[in-house]
Amino acid sequence: MSYTREQIEDFLYHEAALIDEWKTEDWANLFTEDAEYLIPPTENPDANKDTALFIINDDYHRLQQRAIRLGKRTAHAEFPHSIVRHMISNVRIISQSANDLVVNYNQVVYRSKRQITDTYICSATQHLVPDGDSFKIRSKRVILATDTLRPQGRVSIIL
Amino acid sequence: MSQKTSPIPLPSGADGFIRDDRANNEFLVPRKAFTSPEVLAAEYERIFSQCWLYAAHASELPEPNSFVSRRVGGRELIINRDSDGEIHAFFNACSHRGAMVCREKTGKNKWFVCPYHGWAFNSAGTRVAQDNETGFPDGFFDGGSKDLTKVAKLAVYRDFIFITYNSNAGSLSDYLGDAAEMLDLVADQSETGMEVTEGNHEYSMRANWKLLLENSADGYHAMATHASYFDYLQSTNGSFRSDFNPSDIGGACTAFGNGHAAIEYVAPWGRPVAQWVPQWGDQGRDAVNQLMETLIKRHGEERARRIGEKNRNILIFPNLVINDIMALTIRTFQPVNEGYLEVNAWSLAPKEEHADVRKFRQYNFLEFLGPAGFATPDDVEMLELCQQGYKNMPEPMWNDISKGMSKAINGSDDELQMRTFWRRWNALMTAD
Repeated sequence: MSYTREQIEDFLYHEAALIDEWKTEDWANLFTEDAEYLIPPTENPDANKDTALFIINDDYHRLQQRAIRLGKRTAHAEFPHSIVRHMISNVRIISQSANDLVVNYNQVVYRSKRQITDTYICSATQHLVPDGDSFKIRSKRVILATDTLRPQGRVSIIL
Repeated sequence: MSQKTSPIPLPSGADGFIRDDRANNEFLVPRKAFTSPEVLAAEYERIFSQCWLYAAHASELPEPNSFVSRRVGGRELIINRDSDGEIHAFFNACSHRGAMVCREKTGKNKWFVCPYHGWAFNSAGTRVAQDNETGFPDGFFDGGSKDLTKVAKLAVYRDFIFITYNSNAGSLSDYLGDAAEMLDLVADQSETGMEVTEGNHEYSMRANWKLLLENSADGYHAMATHASYFDYLQSTNGSFRSDFNPSDIGGACTAFGNGHAAIEYVAPWGRPVAQWVPQWGDQGRDAVNQLMETLIKRHGEERARRIGEKNRNILIFPNLVINDIMALTIRTFQPVNEGYLEVNAWSLAPKEEHADVRKFRQYNFLEFLGPAGFATPDDVEMLELCQQGYKNMPEPMWNDISKGMSKAINGSDDELQMRTFWRRWNALMTAD
């Protein structure tokens, strides 16, 4: 069976809504148990996570813990929660086989807190696995389309 | 200097700009030191233009003609090796009209060619004559006056490259003094040399640069600021040493001369060199145990255990932090304005590191350190809350940094390391 871009977009919009609405544990449950959530270093988006210093290199356990942590008052950078919005575009299905859909897209993410709005310009690649009417994420690799993390200074939200 | 005549708008007294009351064990720092553009201008003149500053690690320049370009103490530099392998640091500005001659962050260049008028310099900074150059008298380029300008002094200690803009500065080894031993404990983790790994963190904070200096070796804030990080460790099977007893932390702060300080302590987390935790599995245990054995062979049991099992947060005045904890980071930062700093951080590792251990190291680094870790963003939040809180001046005027002042030996959760920094800062800011 082959999937349409519309089906993929529905899923990506759903994922983005969970993040924007701070349903972070529901977001984490979109992932398969062998999943990874990665943000490679800005100067080398193709870097290897086992040898290079990434910005985020989460396996399933750590992305679950990231989601739980973000719900706590003691996750100070996100207490109270900042206002987050994902804008997703340029969605392309790169390849699809029975158990692996590769999807590329661009996203702009806004984070507002204490009257400052930071903008994260990104491209992303996801490997999706069909799961009933929807999908699970096996890999999400977000590439920051900026040459440094200045001036945002942090990625305390989920991109 | 009296308050009236000082160009630095800080309350001054018998101790200068701080209140260092050893009789009553009270240490106060004026909040205006974090918010005043005049103070920052004075810091650029009296600190960043005078002190030795960390610039790069020799492993970033692996071959002849390797270079990096970056801001050091607010100035744009090229740090490189020439064709013979000698290390230099040049201002990244053409001797003709000042345009930056290097626009790449890293690479290998035999020549730096200014894109504006085509002036060319070799990797030793010497201006190289161009064909068909007319309009200049014979010999105009001789004698080096049109070469790239070098920084006043450059010196390397254990592959840490330092520069200073002060031609009267004393030697780097005098500057580091006894703090050099801390760099030895880091450099000695490898038999073949340490290397900066691929990937770095370039981020920022909307806070005064001195807030990050204070925060980088502040054991006291850990339990409050990083409560959610410790929750995470507890929810992660095998991330704690099973044999760890909280009373083992011990920990002591050492104040060195020239404003340098370090805290040293034991912690429950794993260390790639060389403290195994169950999360790393049997294969990881073998690799880490083997590392400890080679450390013992090279350094003897006592020093090897100190290198491999103790944690160190090292402050080298004014803006180098080396945190040798669950990973090893070189962090340097500089003010852009009084309320905004830029941070550069790298992961340092033994060149010969086992692939599994390197993987643990990079994974470990990110769970605490870095702009998307489980701790650093909360530090950023705290520093930004401080910077905003200082807007309440003048009424709450002073920060309190007295903790541990009445003790003979300060623990890692006392504040001697910060007082050490501020005493040096005060001396430089009030010097005639």
